[in-house]
Amino acid sequence: MTAADLPVPSPVVSPAPDRERWLAIGFATPAALVLVVLFALPLALLFTASVAGPAGLTLSEYAKLATPHYLGVVWNSLRLALLTTGIAFLIGYPASFALARARGVLRSVMLASLFLPLAASVIVKAFAWTILLRSDGLVNTVLMALGLVDEPIRMIFTETALVVGAVNIFLPFMILPIYAVVAQLDHRLVEAAATLGASPAVAFVRVVMPLTLPGIVAGLALVFSLSVSAYVVPTLLIGERYPTLSTTIAKAFLLARQPGFGAAAGVALLAITLAAVALSARLGRSGGAR
Amino acid sequence: MLGPSGCGKTTLLRLVAGLAAPEEGTIAIAGRDVTRVPPHRRNVGVVFQSYALFPHLTVAGNVAFGLSVRGRPREEIDRAVKRTLSLVRLEHLGARRVSALSGGQQQRVALARALAVGPEVLLFDEALSALDRNLREEMQVELQRLLREIGATAIFVTHDQDEALTMSDRIAVMNGGRIEQLADPKTLYERPATLFTLGFVGQSTRLRGTVAEAGDGMVAVDTAVGRVAAVGSYRAGSSVVVATRPEHLRVVAELAGHEGAEHARNSVDGRIRAVIFQGSRSRIEVAAGDQILLAEAPGRIASELNPGDAARLVWPVTETFAYPDPEARA
Repeated sequence: MTAADLPVPSPVVSPAPDRERWLAIGFATPAALVLVVLFALPLALLFTASVAGPAGLTLSEYAKLATPHYLGVVWNSLRLALLTTGIAFLIGYPASFALARARGVLRSVMLASLFLPLAASVIVKAFAWTILLRSDGLVNTVLMALGLVDEPIRMIFTETALVVGAVNIFLPFMILPIYAVVAQLDHRLVEAAATLGASPAVAFVRVVMPLTLPGIVAGLALVFSLSVSAYVVPTLLIGERYPTLSTTIAKAFLLARQPGFGAAAGVALLAITLAAVALSARLGRSGGAR
Repeated sequence: MLGPSGCGKTTLLRLVAGLAAPEEGTIAIAGRDVTRVPPHRRNVGVVFQSYALFPHLTVAGNVAFGLSVRGRPREEIDRAVKRTLSLVRLEHLGARRVSALSGGQQQRVALARALAVGPEVLLFDEALSALDRNLREEMQVELQRLLREIGATAIFVTHDQDEALTMSDRIAVMNGGRIEQLADPKTLYERPATLFTLGFVGQSTRLRGTVAEAGDGMVAVDTAVGRVAAVGSYRAGSSVVVATRPEHLRVVAELAGHEGAEHARNSVDGRIRAVIFQGSRSRIEVAAGDQILLAEAPGRIASELNPGDAARLVWPVTETFAYPDPEARA
């Protein structure tokens, strides 16, 4: 063994472990309180409401969810989330590399164009899409003026419009976590791979992808969670024709006065989101050593 | 390749590896022109200054990478990984994550990874400079043993003259993007071709002067400390710098025994300014006029010398060299 393998006594005197633990607890307390009062308690109430029947505990509200109609609703939510997440990834992954490679003014402009839309309400953005896409909207007006089509194409209230709008609105949540990882990527690793015989494509698959996996997983999880539970986007861009879990929950609580069913659908949505997050946490870990 | 930072030695290494492309000229490895060959088809092994180990792979995964991307069968890769890891004496750490290794171990993983593919040329970019002194010297010895064993050509880039002198068969001293001298370490040290090489490798005393007499490949130069004879061919009147290494300068107490005018020696009278203890030898600074001359003496002799003493320095003419003065007006 060499000298560098010998244990080196730590020169830093650390504070007493007890004191450090109490400090940590102290720092975490406000956030923990907020989470318990504003998040855990309401969730517990929601869950209680979903299983509370007239005569004690019941799963009847969940049984309603298992009918073909509502399974279709669940599928609608999943389909919207999967399409949105997939397309956002295909656009966002390369964009993250462009962003990481850009320098100076170009980079500032690109970052601003990512952040600024986040400052606008999702309602404003969804309405903007309806203005663009409706029959007398900008897109159709231009198409007809150019003589490309004779009559307006139906775009608003289609699934395409829904997914286009959702991708547009949620794209920053894909790009930012991936960009954060890509910007940290050590280019020398790619050079090392090249000198070891890896073509650019192989180096990408064997080095760049695994090392950016944590960002990819974070981006996928974020966009999936946001789009599976999106409410404003499907309400404004497609409406009744494409019921999702979110719109169904809102309807159950606000219109149909079925709080038990709404609560059950809410719990189901939460379960889907949690499953996605758990799966991504697992994927992120398995991206380590092999 | 030895030179100060910014002299172009790393750029030259990157050109050989294919990580940078030359605007003109050609690069050939074992006679094959590889100027337009991308790095992944050059079959070179590079040990980077920062090691550039893949953090998502284990030690064995890093070493296997080159063979794995070449699509070699599993058993062959496993055998090669085992053999290479035992070559660098890390066979017991194959399953470790690279982040769990010490600097010296990481260095050896980087070496094993480069060796595993059986490269035609091994390139080391300041590969030892991140290690502390003891470990570096240990790695130098170990590397020499390894390179002899596998018989590969290796190119080292370093700014450390000791490392270059220890490790190399031939050294290219670089300065400002040019090779000043390409020679074996002994020649480089004992017969430096340029003033830059002289100054960059080893210590020296340099005296500026004007050639007074010339002939037979020798010159007599008038300097601030008197006339000094040196090896070199310059016309009388040229501005030159004469130089010699400290180990050739012998200190003789000025009053103890005049040796007379021995014409094969140079001699300068001065006063001892400092005696610097350096272990087995001591460095002695002698002031003559406004010049400082560097001499060296074994500790036993040096211990009898004291700052302020008058001293005479003598050294052989054959170890005195003359270079054109770079600051002289053309």
